[in-house]
Amino acid sequence: MNPILRTQLAGVARRPARMLLTGLAVLVASFVVYATVLAQQITQRSIVDGLSGTPEAVDLVIRQGSIDDRHLAAINAIPGVSRTSAQTEIGAQLGGQYLNISGDPGSGPLALVSVTEGRYPSAAGEIAVTPRTVQLLGLKVGSTASVDPGTGKKVALRVVGVVKPPVDFGNDAYAPASTVLALTVDHFVQGIYVDVDAGTDAGPVRDRIEALFAGAKDEDRPEVVTGADVRLAEARDAASQIDQVFAVVGMFVGIAVAAAGLIAASTFRIVFAQRMRQLALLRAIGAGRSATFRALATEGALTGLATGAVGVAVGQGAGFAVPALLRGIGWNVLNPGIPVLWAVGTILLAVVISVVAVLAPAVSAARVAPLEALRTAAGTGARTGIGVPRWIAGLLPLAAALALAGYVYTNLPGLDERDYDPQMMLLAVVASGALAFAALIALGPVLVRPVLAVTGWPLRRLGPVGRLAVGGVGGSARRAAAVSVVVALGVTLVAGVLVGGASIRALGDRELAAAAPTDFEMTGGDGSTLPEEIVTRAKASGELTRVTPYRRLTSAKIAQFEGTAVTDLDVRALPRLRDLDVRSGSVDELKPGTAVVAGYLAEMAGLRLGDTVRVENQGRTVSLQVVAVLGDDAPLHAGLLVVPADLTAMGAGGGWSGMLADAARDGASARTEALRAMRAAAGGKTEFSVVVLADQRDALDAELATLLGIALGLIGLTVLIAVVGVGATTALSVVERVRESGLLRAIGMSRAGLRTMLTLESALYGVIGAVLGLLLGVPYAWLALRATGANAPLAVPVWQLAGAFLILVVLTALAGVLPARRAARVSPVNALGTD
Amino acid sequence: MQTQSSPPVGHDALAAVAAVDLVKVYGAGDTAVRALDGVTVGFERARFTAIMGPSGSGKSTLMHCLAGLDTATSGQVLLGGADLTKQSDKVLTKVRRERIGFVFQSFNLLPQLTALRNITLPLDLAGRRPDAELLDRLVTTLGLAGRLGHLPSELSGGQQQRVALARALVSRPEVLFADEPTGNLDSRSGAEVLGLLRDSARNLGQTIVMVTHDPGAAAYADRVVLLADGRLAGEIYQPDITSVTDALQKLAAGR
Repeated sequence: MNPILRTQLAGVARRPARMLLTGLAVLVASFVVYATVLAQQITQRSIVDGLSGTPEAVDLVIRQGSIDDRHLAAINAIPGVSRTSAQTEIGAQLGGQYLNISGDPGSGPLALVSVTEGRYPSAAGEIAVTPRTVQLLGLKVGSTASVDPGTGKKVALRVVGVVKPPVDFGNDAYAPASTVLALTVDHFVQGIYVDVDAGTDAGPVRDRIEALFAGAKDEDRPEVVTGADVRLAEARDAASQIDQVFAVVGMFVGIAVAAAGLIAASTFRIVFAQRMRQLALLRAIGAGRSATFRALATEGALTGLATGAVGVAVGQGAGFAVPALLRGIGWNVLNPGIPVLWAVGTILLAVVISVVAVLAPAVSAARVAPLEALRTAAGTGARTGIGVPRWIAGLLPLAAALALAGYVYTNLPGLDERDYDPQMMLLAVVASGALAFAALIALGPVLVRPVLAVTGWPLRRLGPVGRLAVGGVGGSARRAAAVSVVVALGVTLVAGVLVGGASIRALGDRELAAAAPTDFEMTGGDGSTLPEEIVTRAKASGELTRVTPYRRLTSAKIAQFEGTAVTDLDVRALPRLRDLDVRSGSVDELKPGTAVVAGYLAEMAGLRLGDTVRVENQGRTVSLQVVAVLGDDAPLHAGLLVVPADLTAMGAGGGWSGMLADAARDGASARTEALRAMRAAAGGKTEFSVVVLADQRDALDAELATLLGIALGLIGLTVLIAVVGVGATTALSVVERVRESGLLRAIGMSRAGLRTMLTLESALYGVIGAVLGLLLGVPYAWLALRATGANAPLAVPVWQLAGAFLILVVLTALAGVLPARRAARVSPVNALGTD
Repeated sequence: MQTQSSPPVGHDALAAVAAVDLVKVYGAGDTAVRALDGVTVGFERARFTAIMGPSGSGKSTLMHCLAGLDTATSGQVLLGGADLTKQSDKVLTKVRRERIGFVFQSFNLLPQLTALRNITLPLDLAGRRPDAELLDRLVTTLGLAGRLGHLPSELSGGQQQRVALARALVSRPEVLFADEPTGNLDSRSGAEVLGLLRDSARNLGQTIVMVTHDPGAAAYADRVVLLADGRLAGEIYQPDITSVTDALQKLAAGR
């Protein structure tokens, strides 16, 4: 064995923990990679096992084509058919709302729903509803719903039970298929589930079913497939969705692995620098440069091997522990297997990252002059400047990044630009970001000082401890840069997601301002009006606020467009309408003789600010001046907003068309109370239906929150590795600076002071990284947002960004706490004795 | 100003710092080493005293204990009459910061701070402002004018040690401890630093305790205290190279 390597390995054997510390980032990365593989296995096994929509008992499925109740009866008569379930679903009008009624046996092996309250409908005219439907549509057990199933005649359906459905949209009712079919004119079903008798071969049954449809035309003939095939296809579909999800996860894991590589390179550099004297000594007594390099590179590979193996082992342990824990709290989760190939692959990946990471540090360490052995050991990273090659390696990608960003900027889509391809532009933004990052890696050491000069200012004012911390970080700019760049990577991603999320939310708010200006809307259906006492009752209710009745004309003709809606809704009464996307003019200008035009109408009719719009209705003509054009839709899906007097001039009657209201207080229970108050105001008349507009807002909020949560969770991997890197760097630099710590203690720094100083240094890595990350992340998020062509406003969520900044700085500070404590425990004498 | 006379002052009367029956044991059981074995010695104010002895005689341990860097196993360390051995780390930290100065063999300057910042570091830590006049005088005396903005890596060994000396003196410590201050210097720079130490004792009234194994360095002191096997083994007033070398040889022979 190479004698240099033997020396190194003897050192490793003496302090194995330090080897793990060197490769800690690689360890975490291999854990993450392997854990992701296991997570995918667990998810796939659990979902494929449990989550196919078609019940296990279904042997045959007849679907597509044209099937009616006579076919159903014929199939039921086939010998060997144990039971069938007709898949039928109709939409019915309930007041101003939509109710989805599906056929289901309600019990037995073919049922998709199960009763939770009351009983399952048995007689005609009975239905069961889902829990959310009870809440949203007010259909309690015992109540009667008067619906129009599309036949034009109202049918009374009695609610006899509540069922738990596979998915609950809040407008779902279930009944036996016969009940549902009775509501329709043509008695068609969408499909039939067939369960054949136990022990009977499904093949002949299938042939007889196919024979039933032999006479049908090609396009009407349904297909008959086995339940097993359907379930398999559903499972495959679910699995491919999982694969897609994990492909995205894999991308983020890839970024985290790259971050780990950067951290590993930095830690190797520190470790080798600490051994500079020893290496120089070996060189002085005759070790060759290339032999030294080989020894160091081998050590890197061994570090990768060790940390990769530990990471995989920990991952496998977690892979068995987590499902066991989840089963403990009642989740049905299966164990992963032991994917040996993946395990070996992950370890290999760890070795490769480590070897790549160790190359540059090993080259520079092997270049150490033998004379260094005789000099007093200088610290690592003391050099602050960078050489010409590094300048070039930094400035070239920087120029390319700027050029790409400039290209995207000059080619940003205008308002409603047609034929715009966002994909290319987004790719260009990502490429520019990656190049900017490469530049940051190379130029980092030069950037640390200026950033430190600004951000360190308050610390320097704090006194000598703060000044020393700032000096300590600034004094080893290369090391600070290496760690901070990885923190910056995490923060860039976090900032991008936060800004993107906030902007999408702002866009959503804008659109929802028109679609859902209040929590509730009550209407009486087309043409009917709301009696005044309903409005009076609603206004008197303490649960409701901002009760705003409005009139709405649906028969007006504007320009050449007939049937355009005009409303006199008081825009100023509803605060959410402040978010309306106003393209030009101002909604506040609305007064008699003027109108606010919806964007779509303005576009179609060629109306612009200041133009005159002619409204014809029932032989009357009113001309109004356009004072504002909205982005797209106007509130209540109207084309035109006018003042009440002008609406009356168009021939609108005195009765209210509908009423908007908000819940008086925030929170789910307040909203339920408010919904009840709305219903109470209607006085029990079901023709005045209440729509919970707030649900749309909630749905958007929930969807955004989920997306943001997932994205931030995945970015969390990179942030975790960055924090680990800060911790490892601080720990190693503490080892290296034992002497300095001792000196500070000897000349009168207290333990607490030393602890504070080192923790502050560690936090400063976070501060520098976070500042660089925000400087990169926010502009790139803006550019990417504009490049999508989504026309979203740039929203900078200052508090969220400040929060992310603070959390990151706190995390990096925490990463330094343990090493700082260790350093502070060192006695000043020991410190001075260390060579 | 010069106090060339040599009154054999007792350790209790005018001592700036003194050890009384000081014992320091490293380790325990069979492997225990008595680095100090009942040392009683005083160091007079405004004098330059050198501690000498063969390797392992306990001279460094004695200095560490006197300076509050290390804790003694038993006995007392009296700084200005107060016992340091029973004090908490907090008090010792304050003592080191306000009443004691250090000069080390390997200079021990902070690489990221300029010479000036290194000099004022103890005052910064104590939250005090440097006495501008004293600082000015030290910088002039030590020949550091024009070097204050430099980083340690830009200074020669002698210059670095002079910066370390300024750092030790700027807080007007009651006692200045020097641990082999010339060990890493060439003979000319070493002589310069030793001359400066002697001058600060004579001209500024600075109490100095220096550990060395170099008779030439010890010859600059007013008095040499000899240690052997953790015990006091004699002292020499107004030493010169010959008397110190003789004494050391006698100690070596006596073992």
